[in-house]
Amino acid sequence: MSASQTNRITGKGLIDRRKPLRFTFDGKSYDGFQGDTLASALLANGVVLTGRSFKYHRARGILSAGSEEPNAIVELRAGARREPNTRATMIELFPGLEAHSQNRWPSLKYDVLSINSLLSPVFVAGFYYKTFMWPSAMWEKLYEPMIRRAAGLGRASDEADPDTYDKSNAFCDVLVVGGGAAGLMAALTAGRAGARVIVCDEHFDLGGRLLSETQLVDGKPAHDWVRAAVAELRAMPEVQILTRTSVFGAYDTGTFAAVERVADHLPKPGVHQPRQRLWRIIAKQCVLAAGATERPIVFGNNDLPGVMLASAVRTYINRFGVMPGKTAVIFANNDEAATTARDLATVGVRVAAIVDSRPQPSAAVRDAAKTTGARLVSGVVADAKGRIAVKGARIVPAAGEAFDVSCDLIAVSGGYNPNVQLTTHQNGRPQWNETLAAFLPGSSPKGMTVVGSAKGTFSLPDCLAEGAQAGAAAATAAGFSAHVPQVPKAEAESYGVVPMWRVKEAKHKAFVDFQNDVAASDIDLAEREGYRSVEHVKRYTTLGMATDQGKTANVNGLAILAALTGKSIPETGITSARPPYSPVSIGALAGHHRGKEFKATRLPPSYYWAKEQGAVMVEAGLWMRPQYFPRAGETDWLETVTREVKTTRSAAGICDVSTLGKIEIQGADAGTFLDRVYINMFSTLGVGKARYGMMLREDGIVLDDGTTARFAQDRFFMTTTTVNAVKVMQHLEFCHQWHWPELDVQMASATDQWAQYSVAGPRSRELLAKLVDAPFDISNEGFPYMAVAEITVCNGIRARIYRLSFSGELAYEIGVPARYGDSLIRALMAAGQEFGALCYGTEALGVMRIEKGHVGGPEINGTTTAADLGLGKMASTKKDFIGRVLAGREGLKDPSRPALVGFRPVDRSARLRSGSHLLPKDAGNFASNDQGYLTSVAYSPMNGHWVGLGLLSNAASRMGEIVRAYDPVRNGDTLVEVVSPVFFDPEGERLRV
Amino acid sequence: MRISCPYCGERSLDEYLYIGDATVTRPDPAGANAQADFYKYAYERTNPAGAHKELWYHSAGCHAWLVVERDTRTHEISSVETAKDVALKRNVAKGGA
Amino acid sequence: MSSLTLTPTNALASALNSSRSSVAIAVLDGLSIAHVAARKGQSAALAARVKELFGVTLSQTPRIATGSNVSFVWAGPDQWLAMARADTNPDFERDLRGKLEGLASVADQTDARALATVRGPNARHVLAKGVPIDLHPKAFPAGSAAITHASHIGVLMWLSEADDTFTLACPRSYASSFWNWLTESAVEFSPAVGE
Ligand SMILES: [Zn+2]
Repeated sequence: MSASQTNRITGKGLIDRRKPLRFTFDGKSYDGFQGDTLASALLANGVVLTGRSFKYHRARGILSAGSEEPNAIVELRAGARREPNTRATMIELFPGLEAHSQNRWPSLKYDVLSINSLLSPVFVAGFYYKTFMWPSAMWEKLYEPMIRRAAGLGRASDEADPDTYDKSNAFCDVLVVGGGAAGLMAALTAGRAGARVIVCDEHFDLGGRLLSETQLVDGKPAHDWVRAAVAELRAMPEVQILTRTSVFGAYDTGTFAAVERVADHLPKPGVHQPRQRLWRIIAKQCVLAAGATERPIVFGNNDLPGVMLASAVRTYINRFGVMPGKTAVIFANNDEAATTARDLATVGVRVAAIVDSRPQPSAAVRDAAKTTGARLVSGVVADAKGRIAVKGARIVPAAGEAFDVSCDLIAVSGGYNPNVQLTTHQNGRPQWNETLAAFLPGSSPKGMTVVGSAKGTFSLPDCLAEGAQAGAAAATAAGFSAHVPQVPKAEAESYGVVPMWRVKEAKHKAFVDFQNDVAASDIDLAEREGYRSVEHVKRYTTLGMATDQGKTANVNGLAILAALTGKSIPETGITSARPPYSPVSIGALAGHHRGKEFKATRLPPSYYWAKEQGAVMVEAGLWMRPQYFPRAGETDWLETVTREVKTTRSAAGICDVSTLGKIEIQGADAGTFLDRVYINMFSTLGVGKARYGMMLREDGIVLDDGTTARFAQDRFFMTTTTVNAVKVMQHLEFCHQWHWPELDVQMASATDQWAQYSVAGPRSRELLAKLVDAPFDISNEGFPYMAVAEITVCNGIRARIYRLSFSGELAYEIGVPARYGDSLIRALMAAGQEFGALCYGTEALGVMRIEKGHVGGPEINGTTTAADLGLGKMASTKKDFIGRVLAGREGLKDPSRPALVGFRPVDRSARLRSGSHLLPKDAGNFASNDQGYLTSVAYSPMNGHWVGLGLLSNAASRMGEIVRAYDPVRNGDTLVEVVSPVFFDPEGERLRV
Repeated sequence: MRISCPYCGERSLDEYLYIGDATVTRPDPAGANAQADFYKYAYERTNPAGAHKELWYHSAGCHAWLVVERDTRTHEISSVETAKDVALKRNVAKGGA
Repeated sequence: MSSLTLTPTNALASALNSSRSSVAIAVLDGLSIAHVAARKGQSAALAARVKELFGVTLSQTPRIATGSNVSFVWAGPDQWLAMARADTNPDFERDLRGKLEGLASVADQTDARALATVRGPNARHVLAKGVPIDLHPKAFPAGSAAITHASHIGVLMWLSEADDTFTLACPRSYASSFWNWLTESAVEFSPAVGE
């Protein structure tokens, strides 16, 4: 044993003494053992002061030995792995562990800001609301930085997290939450029946309280029984044990969320090992055996280092072989006082006094006092004494004078709160039980059974029996034949709790919520100020709102409020728990999905070629598309895009349009079906032809547009816009399955099947002629505007060719199976070299469609009708179609509705901005004068000035009018002329040559 | 929440899209009060606290539209049918195609 | 006659060049794939024709059925993906369309999907990291198929009847993201890989 571990008890505990570990706390080196937590190792070394509190910078030590810890909150590790607000009681010791206390400056012992403690009248309940109300501008500059510095919340690392996180889905018949006595019995029973069982426990070993108590199970030390049970479980192929795993959320239909700390107990994760794993567990049945959490009692200075929960005292002694003090006072309202006194005395701690707040100390406590030689007092501990650690206790007996007892440890038990949180995540309401003075699970979610101390069953034999029964019942419910086994023998214990929430004789600040520094006096104040609802008091005082979720605070706070308002506890209410039960790192929630894998990315067929060309890429939905292809010497994007447009319009330009949604629509009724979803006719479309179509939502607003081709009587090929591809497919499936299931229509998405390129410009025909195989006739006569054909290119590669144009030029779209997409762009560029062809990106595509007045995403924006877009005449009057009836509503036909027109700046050198509001020329810039806005703008290389499309009220009658394009965000105010939206080749002569 | 697709089996909520009320059907566009009927159909919705029939789309699965009867208070699902089957029955009831 | 020639590129070609790969994971290439959807009222006739032509019973539930030369994996109600070796079936879609005339609509999907296989003792653990369905042999026995997602990317997947190999088919444009997820998920179980 290391000499430094002065509080280590020889021969005691489940730690591995053959594996000493060195660690540092606040820069000082200490030794501990494998199997220690940081908390137990600090206690072994006599370190009781572990941090300063959040608001008042009061000295704090270790209160608990579990996940409920509100005090011993430290910064773990250094550099990129530095993590604030970790609980020392949950950190497993590893070699080289480095931890720092929080909320102290310059040092833990001499914290300058503990002056806050003297200023505590300022920091009372509602201080955020009262002190920092006004002026609001001061928040950012002064209040928040000040609060953050004074009330430190730990420091997160500034560096990127170097570790990886993982997610996994799991399915089981029976999920057992908690691996204590009841949970182990449930898992064994269900596992033996052959059920798929998952056992989760937040600690690194299964066993729960059995590892911390001296009870015998089947005549042997409890931890021996645990070892055998775990070995049996590990041997079952259908049982999965997840230690270091907190089940933090219970959702409906048997869905649970859990986080496994895979490598948090290691200096750093192993090669390829995730640090944490987020589990989504789908369980047919759940046995909740989450145990119970001991309550502190609210007395003066009850936050001093050296005040510790009685169950934690026994854990440190029995599990970790650590003496948490030399001289102890026990303060309890139940029989845990007796067990604690015995365990303390066994390892040589002097029990100076047992203070039992019950009217009559029980026989068990009287007996324990006798055997340990402790002074038995019927009364209360009113105050802990000491400045940065417990030096004594001021005891007020039920009868007689108050007196002081010297001690360095006060072991407290205010009774137990069953860990019912997971039963409340779906609106379950816990029920108050007077006998146990605790909330027990009310209704639990479907398929969940609560057992053991989580249910208020505090006696070991009962816990074992309940676990066995629940395990058998759960396995049976999941379809297995299970039977309840003989449970191991254990001795029953007494409890006999009598509520003691708050010691009224306290002279000093008495804390309810340690982590958020909420004292009983704060609840008094809130009550005086008129707060009665527990939900309001919680928010006003911040009670229970820290990262510990008030595990040690909520019920005490509620009981205190109930006493103040003269109501019963159940009348006062409950504070319902929501996920997460314990803190979850953002990394675990993100898993694989961070950095460039934040979301899935779709790559078009020409992606790698475009990257080779140095194209600038842009995200379009999930797609990565080339935006433009800059060349050496070009100074900005506008120069590049202008060149791309001019070259396309004078020679040829190629653009990857594979991202457009593509749907094969087949069947005898395919034409009829298209007639019903498009506003215009498709049943009359000839085979070998394509037609532009527009579809509406049922409310008459435009849903999408695109071109649909007919390759056979019963076979159409629809294209949608890139962004709406999925939505249109969903809409078509809806129309078919729900409206017209009688139609013979089949659909298949072909978006990813075809690599499709637009080849536009006066030389496009000559270019493509070099690729198409004989005997296809690509001449204007042989393949006129809006013709389509299934052909072969480049000596036998099947292809589809469409004579379509978005740019307004003579243009084609050529599609090949996607595996030839990369090769085709290279072939097209090679073929186009002699014509000076280039490849253009989404910017030039946009410029050319604006020059031609074609509508795009900014116009088909969920507010416009076909008529608004100048396409009302497309709608057939010979048939019904989705959206027809409601598009005919008076309001949608109102001529004052903003409709599509073009705009050009009066001062031709002026730049237009999309989003600019359109106001009458001489009108003031008030919202009431707003008549529309510019939807799309571009610098038009063909016009030599900026042009815009926009939606304007009464547009039809306003050609030639000058209006204001007002852009307050970018200080723009430009006079523009209302013109036709077609800025280039208005007669469409270039298309049909 | 988990919904049992009649084709694919039980799947989590994130595989589905919700569109809403399955108790309304597209009115007769040639009806005398077509505009009023369509207005009701498009906009007027009851919002029951309790059992409700809803249209869900198995978007990440088989692309079937489903009629799901769900208790809006508890998410408890009492029945799932394919929208196509419900629609065909409806057509038969109307004496339609 | 064009002087230009086109050569195919596998959807996962660039991913294969990356330093990460796994013995348990492989790209599956060389299949002709077609979507087959029964025409209205023709399900039974289609099943009979497929049985006659390929010796396969079309599954009405999510499963794969393999005949002498063609496999049919369920791809939705009354829909299947038919798969055959590309080298011996270069015109698979057109052949099928002809053979199933009047009974089914056929659409080429050969290039629409990227296929990867996953096998080995940890295959289920790897897949569980992104696939939200139960792949336990009791829940997903040999020959099972499912349409679901893997790491938010839509997949059609199946477990072969012959050996314990999972095949996942994702849309071709997602191949790179899909492969990154799959290899990253596998690396924990393949410590020799990835450096
Ligand atoms: Zn489905």
